[in-house]
Amino acid sequence: MGGRRVFVSGVGSELGTLVTGMLEAEPWVGSLAGIDADPPRRRLPKTTFHRIPPDQHDRIVETITRFNPHVLVHIGVWEPDARASPKMARMLTDQAATSMIGAAAEGPAIEHLVVRSGIEIYGRGRNSLTRPDETAPIRPTSEWGRMVAEIEHIAARVSARVGVSVGAVRLAPVLGPHVPSPLGRMLRNPVVPFSVLADPPFAVIKDHDAARAIVAAAREGLAEPVNVVASGAVTCLQALRRGRRVPFPLIGPDWQVAKALSYLFGSPIPDHVAEVLHRGRLADNGRMAELLGVVPESTTSDVIDELYGWPSIIRQPARVVAA
Amino acid sequence: MNIGPLGAMGRVLEFPRRRVSEPGEVVDDWGRDPGLVRQLAALSQLRWSVTVGGDQHLPRRKGALVVVNARRFALAPIFAAFAIGEAVDRPVRFVGRSDSAPLGPLGRRIGGLLDHPDEVFGALRAGELVVLGAEASTGLRQVGYVGRIKHEHVGAATAAGVQVFPAATMSSPFGRGARVEIGQATRPSRRRRGPLAELELADHLRDEIVRLLDEMGEIRTGTPIDWLPLSGLGGH
Repeated sequence: MGGRRVFVSGVGSELGTLVTGMLEAEPWVGSLAGIDADPPRRRLPKTTFHRIPPDQHDRIVETITRFNPHVLVHIGVWEPDARASPKMARMLTDQAATSMIGAAAEGPAIEHLVVRSGIEIYGRGRNSLTRPDETAPIRPTSEWGRMVAEIEHIAARVSARVGVSVGAVRLAPVLGPHVPSPLGRMLRNPVVPFSVLADPPFAVIKDHDAARAIVAAAREGLAEPVNVVASGAVTCLQALRRGRRVPFPLIGPDWQVAKALSYLFGSPIPDHVAEVLHRGRLADNGRMAELLGVVPESTTSDVIDELYGWPSIIRQPARVVAA
Repeated sequence: MNIGPLGAMGRVLEFPRRRVSEPGEVVDDWGRDPGLVRQLAALSQLRWSVTVGGDQHLPRRKGALVVVNARRFALAPIFAAFAIGEAVDRPVRFVGRSDSAPLGPLGRRIGGLLDHPDEVFGALRAGELVVLGAEASTGLRQVGYVGRIKHEHVGAATAAGVQVFPAATMSSPFGRGARVEIGQATRPSRRRRGPLAELELADHLRDEIVRLLDEMGEIRTGTPIDWLPLSGLGGH
């Protein structure tokens, strides 16, 4: 088992850096390499980093096939309105998924793929299950849900062709002090709109717990999807009361105005976040312990409390060089 | 459960103060709001004074499906869920919430589940107590009648490996008195490998609920005839 070559795509993201940092400490990992358009957020002494944009397919294929990984961990996804506009996020995510997973399939040593997915994949259509488990039908109703469904589809195709096992880690909305999240950003605004008629519950996952789950999926050779969701749930109004924000009740058409205003103030509300506010987002995390051997350390209410405890901007005074 | 109308009124009046003074309260994994349920259970005591019997049969921690008889507009699964929840001191869900605002979200906040076998299966597998209503009877002529029990939901309980309990509910459209009597866990009369097991179990449950109703032995027609001392006649 020791001495495995592990390749991480999306190592420059906060989640990617966390996952790679944890993989560096895993005894079964022999060598580590990563790829992203942006450099990692922290120092990763045991990881070889390649800075390659997702549209440079040839360089990506060459880099991955030269490394010849046993395990590919694909975290290179762009959530709409997190770091990129929905259109740009869709394009980058598609390019990265096709290049990285396709390139991994070319490597002769590849045995296992782990892809980052999301519970948005189940969709929140009328009469959809309150807490879908991994066997629930995939009926995404948002752009982000369709994007992660496409990633799983690409990975499943590769699995069928090459005969490698694929594990999909379906994460709840990830929140963390440095994670760019449209949901977290919106909840931290001083005044936040909420649906007064619905105010449905949702669950989240802390970045550290998400990273532990992805590392466990790589270690255990997860060969099926698994929901990774913190226990408990909270409604938007309850979250705002915990954070002492001003809730702004909305009913229907006024949402368009609220979205436009939120966009102008630098906190766009993409369709998957609007769906959380109108229809909620829960998922059954009952198989996490069985499949991954780990459970989330933080509950949803813990994460929400921490969300309001994280400092907004840490201002560092300029260093003055002594004359 | 029976705290009387004045006690119930006191708990209801306390509700707004608690909502303001306890901002830390959150919903559970299924979106049920324990604080709201507590208050609505108190409010429901203005309408019903429910006596629960047989709750000692229910498991203390594991999941279980409780199937009750129902009458149209009587909200039997809801008052049964509230009453059983207070009796066993653990959350109890009921099947049959809508998925449209504003009733759907309200139903979810008080422990409602969608009327879908997969939803019931998920809750039972997660160790929840779930109340399922039989098809509602529609008129006074059907007093004592137990409607069809959805065998798909009973199948969900079988698949989740939990026990299924029959329960008889009795209430009047005018009076406060109501009763929930839970029977012993029902087992299929014979072992089946296929879906026939859930059909037979549903039929068996229906027979058990009828038997429990017969044993309760009072007439509750919702008419002035209830005021007459006819309880010795038995049946429903």
